[in-house]
Amino acid sequence: MFVLLKRLQQLRRTVALPAPARPGSLALRHVDCGSCNGCEHELTNAAGPHYDLERYGLSIVASPRHADVLLITGTVTTRMAGPLTAAYAAMPEPRLVAALGDCALGVGVIGDPDQLAGPVEDLFPVDIRVPGCPPAPATIAEALLGALELVRGPLREDAR
Amino acid sequence: MTAAPAIEYVDASLWRSAVSAAVERGAEFDGLYAAHTEHGPAVRLALRQGAARRLLSARATDSRLETVVDLLPAAEWDEREARDTHSVRFDGHEPLRPLVAHPADRATWVTPVEGPDVHEVAVGPIHAGVIESGHFRFHVVGERVLHLDLRLFYKHRGLELAAEGLTLAAGLPVAQRACAACAVANTVAYAQAAESLLGLEPDEDLRRSRTVLLELERLYNHLHDLSALCAGIGFDPGTMTFAALKERAQRLNERVGGHRFLFGTVRVGEGILSVDDATAADARRELESLGREAADAWRTLTFMAAAEDRFRGVGFLSQEDAERWGAAGPVARASGVHRDARTDDPGLLWYPGLQPARPEQPSGDVAARAEVRAVELEHTCIMVSGLLAAPPGPGRALPARDPGALGVGRVESPRGATVCCVEAAGDHITRMHLRTGSYANWPVLARVVPGAILPDFPLINKSFELCYACVDR
Repeated sequence: MFVLLKRLQQLRRTVALPAPARPGSLALRHVDCGSCNGCEHELTNAAGPHYDLERYGLSIVASPRHADVLLITGTVTTRMAGPLTAAYAAMPEPRLVAALGDCALGVGVIGDPDQLAGPVEDLFPVDIRVPGCPPAPATIAEALLGALELVRGPLREDAR
Repeated sequence: MTAAPAIEYVDASLWRSAVSAAVERGAEFDGLYAAHTEHGPAVRLALRQGAARRLLSARATDSRLETVVDLLPAAEWDEREARDTHSVRFDGHEPLRPLVAHPADRATWVTPVEGPDVHEVAVGPIHAGVIESGHFRFHVVGERVLHLDLRLFYKHRGLELAAEGLTLAAGLPVAQRACAACAVANTVAYAQAAESLLGLEPDEDLRRSRTVLLELERLYNHLHDLSALCAGIGFDPGTMTFAALKERAQRLNERVGGHRFLFGTVRVGEGILSVDDATAADARRELESLGREAADAWRTLTFMAAAEDRFRGVGFLSQEDAERWGAAGPVARASGVHRDARTDDPGLLWYPGLQPARPEQPSGDVAARAEVRAVELEHTCIMVSGLLAAPPGPGRALPARDPGALGVGRVESPRGATVCCVEAAGDHITRMHLRTGSYANWPVLARVVPGAILPDFPLINKSFELCYACVDR
């Protein structure tokens, strides 16, 4: 185990992630609404050692009740629209919605229209857009760091 | 050269005897699906005998047909799906619970489990981590699981229906969209099906370059699965070590194939992968290093008592059950069933002399399923490195026989054999069906879990590590 820890330590030195610019944090809750699993892989990678979202105060939490940001992936199928709405309703305010990946943004969607309720924008206002098929982990990390700035700005005064 | 498959029409009254005769002669099950025809719904059954493929078909007169689920237990989900999508009633398949359809009445899909202290634990469709959506309903007494009902298809996008009417070339992105983690396997299976329909056969370069892509996909998936298994026992140094290796494997995908998931690298009738000598040399160095570091990390894990305690003996699948229920891929191999499409069916790819990985003890538990992946990882690194020693050109598929109306493709994805059947009229798809390794293994998982304790479920689930996306489609 110590061998692995030591190697990870070495990796961290090589990757040399920049220090967080300012303190702050956001709790993220992910909901898959009909993705191809690509966005999930890349979100997991963004939380891995090469990007390490957590060191910027960005943690993935288990419940929407604990979350500031709802990260939505996928086309939003008719079957996931209900659970997604429930997750959104469970979040405390102020809250942010991020559409992660082209499908969630309604770009290049493939499927039978009868099975699709999306894109996300048709259901809720979207605050953060992360394009890509799927977006690379660096893109995801950058967009979420941008979200930290968003929270420091208008959201604090004007909670919705 | 493989012969072009043709649909063998069987009279509905002889359906069971025809299937029974084929099974007795040793035919293996490759999937069952329904299609709309001018005479109403028909049921197709894909079988394989050695390298020979058969596709039996029977009309479902008045939307009814006798079940074959007792002859082929692996066809359980297939028949349930055909009922939901094409309204075919399978007589004798009782109860024929909905699979794709989500009726509101829970009595239609939840197995009644009754007795003192029995209660249900419902999980999902939204899970606690970054996981795909799907619903599990555990029937438990205390911590012990008595039965598990799976309700997937929350992510059903109607991809197979969306493919109908498209040209054969336009159908490929639909197959790719089914699942990112199996994108190469699904598209190669699709391309093989489309090419066999068009009477084409891949040349040596195309076989080699597709093999490179398939194995690169296996590499990052197996690294991901080992990372997930470490997460399943809360062993973060292992999770992060394999996650870092996986990130490197995906960066390698981007350098070699231009995309982290190798999207857009497979086409019908031609290859586009072109690796220059410098990239190939860099890739070979990285593969050597990835293989060595993964083997090191795996060795560390095998010497950890905590991992041994959690992995050994958990989620047991016997060889007999793996065979009967149609388990696929690493799950089957971990139980001593040496099913591997790479050796069963090597014709259209490049696997000379490949021996399917087998664990030292095919003990059918979490430990064996982890070990299969660790061993395969090493083989894969060596195999791809070997292929890149003389980088193949993109290659193309050449005319070999007359075009037909049906094509079947079959490849070994990281999760098991993936079969794609394409039916077409001229250049237009009339039916596309994709049956992935995950589809084969989900019902097996549901049968393995009873008897385990509920806290072991995430670990057992991770040892299968199945996709939801390519099942739900």
